[in-house]
Amino acid sequence: MATTNPEQEKEGVPFFPNHFMTEFYVVIGILILAIIVGTLGMLFPVGLQAPADPLNTPLHVKPEWYFLALYQLLKYVPPQILGINGPMFAVVGIILALLVVTIWPFLDKKADSKKAMRVRAIGVAAFVVLAIALTIWGEVS
Amino acid sequence: MNFNGRKALRLALILSGAVLLVVAGFGIHGATASASTLEAALAGVDSQAVFVSASPPVGQDNCLHCHIAGENKNLWTPLARWSVFGVFGMVFAFGMYRSASVWTGRKAWKPLWARTVEWVDERYELSPVLSKLAAKPVPRFAMKWWYCLGGITASLFVVQGITGIMLAFYYKPSAAEAYNSILFIENEVRFGAAMRMIHHWAANGMIVMCLAHMARVFIMGAYKKPRELNWVSGVLLLILTLVFGFTGYLLPWDQRAYWATTVGTDIAGSVPAVGNLVLVLLRVGWDVSEATLGRFYGLHIIVTPLLTLGFMLAHFMMIRKLGIAKPL
Repeated sequence: MATTNPEQEKEGVPFFPNHFMTEFYVVIGILILAIIVGTLGMLFPVGLQAPADPLNTPLHVKPEWYFLALYQLLKYVPPQILGINGPMFAVVGIILALLVVTIWPFLDKKADSKKAMRVRAIGVAAFVVLAIALTIWGEVS
Repeated sequence: MNFNGRKALRLALILSGAVLLVVAGFGIHGATASASTLEAALAGVDSQAVFVSASPPVGQDNCLHCHIAGENKNLWTPLARWSVFGVFGMVFAFGMYRSASVWTGRKAWKPLWARTVEWVDERYELSPVLSKLAAKPVPRFAMKWWYCLGGITASLFVVQGITGIMLAFYYKPSAAEAYNSILFIENEVRFGAAMRMIHHWAANGMIVMCLAHMARVFIMGAYKKPRELNWVSGVLLLILTLVFGFTGYLLPWDQRAYWATTVGTDIAGSVPAVGNLVLVLLRVGWDVSEATLGRFYGLHIIVTPLLTLGFMLAHFMMIRKLGIAKPL
């Protein structure tokens, strides 16, 4: 659709209706995916395990996949570090890491550069590889 | 005579009114004649001969032809009848004329939806706000697929809301009934298994998309000044999404749910100083029990959704205010 304002044309496309339609197609795509998933769900339901039994602990207790990496990390922390409960260190570490992530913009205040961007990209890639490795390890162990 | 469209329409309406009157008059007139007589009349047979030969029903005489031909001496009844119908006919014709002038001279109609929009806008003055929102340009550099990840997360949240409400219609948050209500949803409720499957996978998709969006923002440095609080609200939204996952996982009340929650809350309980407090607050006691189920259910369907909506609103308003970060 043609824009009437040349200033706007240079700057970008109007949110409505141009960009709105793009987002609309994305939403339609998501809904189609949801319908496919739902149809599959009617053929192969999510399912349930046995009812909860507080007196019967199963052999392998595993969280959902998005907690699996952290869970695996906790499993391999030694039980005693400097005579204190080991997993406690790990939990505190995770909370501190989350805190650092939360306030990251206030720690990294330098003007951005291509080099910093590359370093961050490598950092994210390393983190993703580590997380995936830990998750797979947690899944098979 | 200036013969324009409006006058033509008026004339056409009057003429059609006149034709209608004649046809109606013929209908009233011929109604008493037998079917064969009417057919004969339509076929072009001399009408007078036909009507003379047809004998009117006893005690019910409305045949003007008979009166004109002299068979019936009482001319007053049909005369009065035609006078009344004639007056009404003229009133009708005048009404048609007036209606036609009003119709052709009216202001052009607006569609109902446009009038509804105007009605609302006149009272609440929404259009300046909305047009300002709608006209905000989206920069060309943002027309890439990786700028879509946050929006996908938000729309998955909507999917979760809809399927979650549908599941909540049938779910019962009690130790005795939770498991059976899930079985009921899976086996009895129409499309229940589909809703549960969509809810399950959209939850996973939401976490993946949230993390992907976060990685994109982090790598491109979009969190830098002036967008610090966008990032903070985003991290809080990620944590809320994980809370959704953690609390929702217990609700089926099967072995996996029960023991994953036991271990998860145990880990939360190992935080120094506040660990036990957190543990008791999460479990509502020292063990995972029915009370825990109620607490997680409340967190899952009321507390977390409200907080998420609030932070999402803040997140979106900040994006609107500051615009999309220009990449290096």
